[in-house]
Amino acid sequence: MAGTEYSYDEQGQFFPFFVLTIAGIVTIPLTYSVLKPSSDPGATAPRIKTDFRPEHADLIDAQRKAQKRRERKLKRGIAVVVGWATMALMAYLILVTARTIPKIWNPYDILGISDSASEKEIKSHYKRLSLKFHPDKIRPDPAKNQTLESLNDYFVELTKAYKALTDEEIRNNYQQYGHPDGKQSFSIGIALPKFIVTDGNGKYVILLYAALLGVLLPYLVGSWWYGTQRMSKEQVLIESANNLFREYSEDITEGGIISALSTGVEFQKTLKGDKAESGLERLESRVLAQGDMTALAGGLTAKDRTKLEDLEGGVRRKALGLLWAYLGRVELDDSALNQAKIEVAPIARALNASFNAIALAFGSTGPILASFLTAQNLIQAIPPGASPLLQLPYITPVIARAIEGDAKTHLTLQQYMQLPDAYRRKLSIGKGLLTESQYQTAMNVAKQLPRLQVEKAFFKVTGEKYITPGSLVSFVVKGRFVPPGSENVPEVNELDLEDVDPDEDDLDAILGRQKKSGKGEKSAKEDKPVQPPLAYAPYFARNYSPRWNVFLTDSKQGKMAVPPFTFVSFDKPIFDESGKPTFNMQTLKAQFQAPPQAGHYTFVMHLICDSYVGFDTKMEVTLVVDEATKAAEIEAEDDISEPDEDSLAGQMNALKTGGLTGAPPKKKKKPVAEESSDEESNTDGEEAEDTSETDTDTDEE
Amino acid sequence: MFDIDWVGLSVPFAYIAVLVGSLITFSSVYRKRKAAKSATLAPWFPPHMQRNIYLSLLHEEPADGQEKAPKVPESLLRAALLRRAVEDIHRIIQIRSAKQACSTLLQRGSVGDDLWQRFQRAEKEMEEELRDVVMEANALSNNWGQSIFQSANEIAANTVFRKRLDEIQAQTESEKVWWEKRRDSIKKEFLKEIESEGLSTPAKTQTSKVSSDDDAILVDSPVSTDKGSIRKKKGKK
Repeated sequence: MAGTEYSYDEQGQFFPFFVLTIAGIVTIPLTYSVLKPSSDPGATAPRIKTDFRPEHADLIDAQRKAQKRRERKLKRGIAVVVGWATMALMAYLILVTARTIPKIWNPYDILGISDSASEKEIKSHYKRLSLKFHPDKIRPDPAKNQTLESLNDYFVELTKAYKALTDEEIRNNYQQYGHPDGKQSFSIGIALPKFIVTDGNGKYVILLYAALLGVLLPYLVGSWWYGTQRMSKEQVLIESANNLFREYSEDITEGGIISALSTGVEFQKTLKGDKAESGLERLESRVLAQGDMTALAGGLTAKDRTKLEDLEGGVRRKALGLLWAYLGRVELDDSALNQAKIEVAPIARALNASFNAIALAFGSTGPILASFLTAQNLIQAIPPGASPLLQLPYITPVIARAIEGDAKTHLTLQQYMQLPDAYRRKLSIGKGLLTESQYQTAMNVAKQLPRLQVEKAFFKVTGEKYITPGSLVSFVVKGRFVPPGSENVPEVNELDLEDVDPDEDDLDAILGRQKKSGKGEKSAKEDKPVQPPLAYAPYFARNYSPRWNVFLTDSKQGKMAVPPFTFVSFDKPIFDESGKPTFNMQTLKAQFQAPPQAGHYTFVMHLICDSYVGFDTKMEVTLVVDEATKAAEIEAEDDISEPDEDSLAGQMNALKTGGLTGAPPKKKKKPVAEESSDEESNTDGEEAEDTSETDTDTDEE
Repeated sequence: MFDIDWVGLSVPFAYIAVLVGSLITFSSVYRKRKAAKSATLAPWFPPHMQRNIYLSLLHEEPADGQEKAPKVPESLLRAALLRRAVEDIHRIIQIRSAKQACSTLLQRGSVGDDLWQRFQRAEKEMEEELRDVVMEANALSNNWGQSIFQSANEIAANTVFRKRLDEIQAQTESEKVWWEKRRDSIKKEFLKEIESEGLSTPAKTQTSKVSSDDDAILVDSPVSTDKGSIRKKKGKK
């Protein structure tokens, strides 16, 4: 029964359609994913130009290239090519295969008359035709390839068509089933070639089905599931994340974090087999040798040293040794070891991101800051607490020490670059120090580093004058990128420091939020976000796009108050085409919920770039939260447009304030929140912002 | 009677059997593995040495050739129990501070499930441990159970405090050396200045303009110390 109703695709005329569709469904999205512009910052972001080549630059470059190759999606590319080839083949097959499309039976066409012909016309037309085509009347014409039979058939067709148009019953049949003889046997085509169901092949098909459903599907689902289970949100192995969590402690230092990072399971992959032990002794003797700047060459403290030496041998100890060797830029005189040294840094950075997430979950300021500083150290290959000057090319610990003299604290890059040029030259150039060309290269790099100099930081609620308890507060940081040693830094334009609310016809208006129209001219139109240049990190074997993190901490409790907001791109260009800094005012905004009680809240704002050492900003900011009644009152005074609500709100307010305090509180004229002091971190130079510009102007001749 | 095609009928049953069988095998293997894995989870805390000491004191075995075990003095037992309580306090603090973070990280998918299992096991163990300590304390002396953790807490806080003090104290030596050196260099510089002034009184030479390298470094150092001291003041504010 079924066999008669289903017809298989014996001529293979539908099968290509089926395959083409399936291939298209898979290939077209895949093609998009292959061809779409890479989100990798290394592809699009500008770079800091220098001709400095660090030691083992070939090894570092080789690893960068290897990473690129890994990211190149080769498999996907091949799949796309195969997919398109299949589709082309199928399209070819479709074109080539003769199609047997069943003709739609149309009596009017057969009789050769128009659809609008009346019954009379039909009759006369049929008579004329029957006279002409009756098999008794005409002879088969071999020239036209006619036989008696075909003529006969043709006449039968004509008769059928005529009957269909005149006979009541047959016309019904035609209308219902599309054929004068009534219901025709119908068939459902299956777009599969017949060989799939022929007797001998049945078992192979079942086998294939079992393999697909019973083996491949569970395998795919399983590998996907365990793959997601294996990696944490920060893209490290979950086991490493667990280890890091165990290593966390409230008083962890940067050195402690480095030790903690060595618990990462990722290192087992790079240091597998005999790599786990080979060269351990040489490595440790080098790392623990007398250092140029720090007591030990690797830059370890005594505590870190005991930690390293307490470890049992194996992967962890070697990883830790390699990490310290990397941070201390220790030459290991062994290409395998040197390569491993370069390899561990990107792994450690990824692990540190995981540690950072853990520290943020704990919420204590100390570990959070330490993990940010560790990221800087790892990217710049500088041991914890070493001189930030090491970020510049050619500067070795010896030279950095000579430049800094015997000071207890380190010169930051900005301080170094603010020294008068002649004096700086004298400190830096000389025997055992930099040569003239090296000095120029270093200066050149320093003047390209993006240092975000904060000009103003304040709180506001969009469209409101006062911050009321529980409202959504924007923390606005206004800053400019001022590379260290920039000359002729323009004065801050006061207009730039204001944060103008978007106009009413903006998106916020649609969302139903009320606001007053912005005063002052509108800020420059929003362009595409601008990427900062890739981090200048000659020792780090990855292209890394720097991130700026803004977060607020409570200095009294030592806890984080507002979690970090991360910025990877900015709204205005940082450097112009020729590579000169533009000193555009950048706006960073972080939103959070205001505290539920009114009062003054003092926070410490941290602005940390995770790629450069010593570019951090620490600043005290005060959040003033006013009673909700006060804000309502101000609104009542301000708004004249809505008299009904206005008067009501005014009365309510008068009632409330009168009942509570007796006299309405004095209206405040000053802005709600202002930066209370511009105390900066010790790494950030102690000069006040506005004086710093004049300093640079005069000094740098 | 129907004519039953037994072979044909057996096929669907075989299919179902294979399906159910494979599911059962999978689930049992999976469960066994999971159980084995959770059984081998590493404990959260290292072995509890203080507890072990206390217990071994309590259950002193008689030495060879002696009938009775040597009597452990009560005061020793008490001290051992107090030490055990102090260690428990450390552990409890660790667990309390980690609980919130661990659960949020687990929700976010930043740490794994087995960490949470280990954590919960440690938490349960700690509860048992606390109860045990209180009971032991009550057994040793009346109502001591109520106050033992108070004293333990004080001891723990004191230890932490003292450790930090020691760390700071340990820096004195290196600081002393450094400041000695600094004082010497400043003294030397002053002497030099006085000498140069004595030699050429009218010319008020700016030392920073002297081109020799030695001088440059000498001049540089006080400048940087100045900065350092300012920074310190600011930091203390």
